[in-house]
Amino acid sequence: MFRPFEWQDLLPLLEGAWLTLQLCGVSGILGVIFGLILGIARTSPSRIARWISTIYISCVRGIPILVIIFFVFFGIPLLFPGLEPDKFSSAVIALTCFAAAYVAEIVRGSIEAVAKGQSEAADALGLDYWRKLRYVILPQAVKIMVPPGIGFLIGLVKDSSLVTVTGLLELTHAGNVVTNLTGDPIKTFLIVAAMYFVICYGISWLGRLYEKRTGIHVDPLKVPEPAGL
Amino acid sequence: MALYFGDLLPYSSLLLEGLWTGLYITLVAMLAGSALGVLVYLGKVGPGKPLSVLCTFYIEAIRNTPLLVQLYLIYFALPALGVNLEPVWAAVIGLTLNNAAYTAEIYRAGFESVPRGLREAGKALGMKPAQIVRYIILLPATRNVFPALTNQLILLFLASSIGSIISLPELTNAIMSVSNTTYRTIEVLAVGGLLYLAVSALMSLISKRAETTIFRWAVGTHV
Repeated sequence: MFRPFEWQDLLPLLEGAWLTLQLCGVSGILGVIFGLILGIARTSPSRIARWISTIYISCVRGIPILVIIFFVFFGIPLLFPGLEPDKFSSAVIALTCFAAAYVAEIVRGSIEAVAKGQSEAADALGLDYWRKLRYVILPQAVKIMVPPGIGFLIGLVKDSSLVTVTGLLELTHAGNVVTNLTGDPIKTFLIVAAMYFVICYGISWLGRLYEKRTGIHVDPLKVPEPAGL
Repeated sequence: MALYFGDLLPYSSLLLEGLWTGLYITLVAMLAGSALGVLVYLGKVGPGKPLSVLCTFYIEAIRNTPLLVQLYLIYFALPALGVNLEPVWAAVIGLTLNNAAYTAEIYRAGFESVPRGLREAGKALGMKPAQIVRYIILLPATRNVFPALTNQLILLFLASSIGSIISLPELTNAIMSVSNTTYRTIEVLAVGGLLYLAVSALMSLISKRAETTIFRWAVGTHV
């Protein structure tokens, strides 16, 4: 009942890879936006903002992404009756919630890595908090954020494989479907792995290019080791 | 909808057993993986060119593919070659192989962060090679990698949840089966999430404590 693995089986895998890229693109961008807000709140002078962001970040970082995916996928329709996001939206929501917390830690680390004298100089110049952030701290912090951010993006691509449990046809689930058709898990999942490798290695290559261009290199042990396995 | 946690009570031992399985597998994979990681790291930086290429390929292949796909290859693809594994063994092997690649990179970063001048200073002081390795390379490097290794332990524990997809009876698996029998999905996910959170917070607390007690002599300084 199985048919051999043929070239046409590459097509669903490529479509899955494209969906994985879209998924990570959308949730990566949303994650960076929310992560910036959270990270700034985490270092802000307001105690309430610091508390809320700290609680959110530590909760998300202490719970497996898989549990977050289940929570969003099953929880949202139960908690908000009538609201039933499709598979892609709930995957985006789950990955964004997850990404925001990790990006926030990177943002915090980068803000703290900006030399202290810079902040003091801005204070001495009489800049208020928001101007100090906008013109002094963030422009320098953003450059430091990029290398760990790239590392996190790779983690996001790998973790996006877990939304396979919701039945969304991304790359890993496409691998499952093709395996069921061909009965050839070895070939299928080696190809799936190779596709992930190309995506992730491509992203890390961009990161190395950035490090070479800017000369910014971040000690990998000092960065909050982000992202999943 | 009203939340009701009472339905979960009969299943609390199932959840705790799941937590225990996850912890157990994490610890085994951490020990075996960080030992294997030493070999992979030594192979990578060692003099043998083919071995070095092989180890580099191994590290890159593992670090650039999802753990889930690696588990699928072990759990679904190996039987096609005639090797049948229980989910527990597939998970232990998968997490160990995965962890080895990450710890090898941690060791590399740790050893590279010990400046060359320090070794030369040791030589100038008349230390024997064994003393140099022990006091000037191993000790500072261990201190440098310790936080990264404990971080890795927590990540590995969280990653053990992925084992549930290949039907490893750990916490996430228990959560989903309790959810399927009681229909208390939100409640059991909340309880399970809190269990994960509690254990990972405890791990992080213990490792911070350990850091300050073991490396008391140089807290907060980088070599």
